[in-house]
Amino acid sequence: MTDAPQDPSAAPEELPKDLPEATSRRLAELEHGLFTSDLSVNEFLLIKEVGFHPLGLVMGSSIYHTGIQTRKWGQSQELTKLTEAMYNARELAMTRMEEEADQLGADGVVGVRLDVNYYEWGKDAAEFIAVGTAVKAESGVSHRNALGKPFTSDLSGQDFWTLMQTGYIPQGLVMGTCVYHIAHRGLGQTLGSAGQNVELPNFTQALYEAREMAMTRMQDEADRLEASGIVGVRLEEKSHQWGSHTIEFLSLGTAVTKTSDEVTLPVPTTIISLDN
Amino acid sequence: MTPDRPTGGSLPIDSPGEMRRAVEALAGPPGQGTKPMTSDLSIDEELLLHSIGWEPVELVTGASIFSVPMGVWNWGQGEITSASTAFAGAFAGAIARIHRETTRAGGHGVVGVHVETSVQRHHIDVTLLGTAVRPVGSHKGATTPFVSDLGARDFTVLHVSGWEPTGLAVGAGFVYAPRRSMGTAMQQKSQNVELTNFTEAMYSARESAMERMQASALALRGSGVVDVTVNEGPIEFARHAIGFTAWGTAVRLAGDQHRTIEPSTVVPLDDAQVAFDASTLG
Repeated sequence: MTDAPQDPSAAPEELPKDLPEATSRRLAELEHGLFTSDLSVNEFLLIKEVGFHPLGLVMGSSIYHTGIQTRKWGQSQELTKLTEAMYNARELAMTRMEEEADQLGADGVVGVRLDVNYYEWGKDAAEFIAVGTAVKAESGVSHRNALGKPFTSDLSGQDFWTLMQTGYIPQGLVMGTCVYHIAHRGLGQTLGSAGQNVELPNFTQALYEAREMAMTRMQDEADRLEASGIVGVRLEEKSHQWGSHTIEFLSLGTAVTKTSDEVTLPVPTTIISLDN
Repeated sequence: MTPDRPTGGSLPIDSPGEMRRAVEALAGPPGQGTKPMTSDLSIDEELLLHSIGWEPVELVTGASIFSVPMGVWNWGQGEITSASTAFAGAFAGAIARIHRETTRAGGHGVVGVHVETSVQRHHIDVTLLGTAVRPVGSHKGATTPFVSDLGARDFTVLHVSGWEPTGLAVGAGFVYAPRRSMGTAMQQKSQNVELTNFTEAMYSARESAMERMQASALALRGSGVVDVTVNEGPIEFARHAIGFTAWGTAVRLAGDQHRTIEPSTVVPLDDAQVAFDASTLG
């Protein structure tokens, strides 16, 4: 842990390539049969129900400093440097989590949570963290994704159970992000529309464009995994610490493929609960 | 309800007397004669417990405060060993006390344990509060009862599928994050870079905590830990110290094999409750 001077072009080489030694030690312990998991009892039992066994709580994190990019007051534009930062940091966290799962010989990771935490370490520094439970099929059949890696998914144990009953299997957690600066309206425009019912086309267009970019990037990731669809997509809009006109659009979902046409989901019983 | 409870609406109520009677009633072994049984379980939870032949016995607690030497938080390198030791010590103390109370009350285990921890500059506190339970009809307490933060509902579901909790597996790690030099910080100001000093410190705290939790699960002879609660981040009063705590219930198969639960699916036909929300009118 030394403070080596950081030259931007040399920075990637300085990043820890492998998992820390202590991580390998911990994972080696897990291989001897003990499992850890942040799944609730319900989720644990449902995952056992579809023939998977939890292997261990896997995590990846990166504390990342985002750079500075100047924005023009009256111009709507993507802030590529910030988009890159949000992408890189999340990728670092995800890849490290996948590496841990890989080392455990997992088929996949379920219940992945991707969080960004801001601490008091100074402005622009944030922790990106990915946490999930590595699982493996008890039958020994590999369920790894098209790239030969463990699948990742932010589906809960309940969703995972339901999905498996319908012949789908998760391929990977896919995401797209776009940090966008939305132009301020000029004084003339503001005065011109005062007292009127009008659409604000510049705002509408900016939000549209940013959302589209995030969604397209997410779909591209799913294409790379040869997925047939994305379920449970969430679209989040956050300003983080950039002020009101700079917004990150993040779309997240689980890419899935159909592996069999057999649907084993029992026909649901309809109920009316008598409690209030 | 004690038989000599004041009846009628005449005020003032003799509250010190009430309290004295409550304390006297709780002092002896519960569930016998007129002695009351206390528990923070809901009616549903209690019925669920009875459905698998268990019953609540008593509300039990354990608490422990461990001191942390002066000035360990601010400067140094690597793990803050005295803080990690204090956390482990406080937890062990609280567990030992809740064990003692449970055994005395005749319980075989504790479910629904609320775990409260607080890391302060000079001390680390751990408080546990839960309901002691036992199989119906057994009156002798177990010598090492299990302690679990799973609720009575989860305990029942686990029991039905052939698993049993063995105890609370805990681990904590506190680590210093080395400061960046002023020059480095200035240089990185406008760049996208990973702050490796913090990332490494975070990893190191996490790994020690998780390893300790696993060791404690193995010591409890569990084959897994479910519902792990993880708390992480810089310590409030020492920003360059990172804490990571993890705890969960260690479980193992009670019988030979896992029993599947084969859930059926339901669709509730109740309409969603639409609440009137005045704030939307603003």
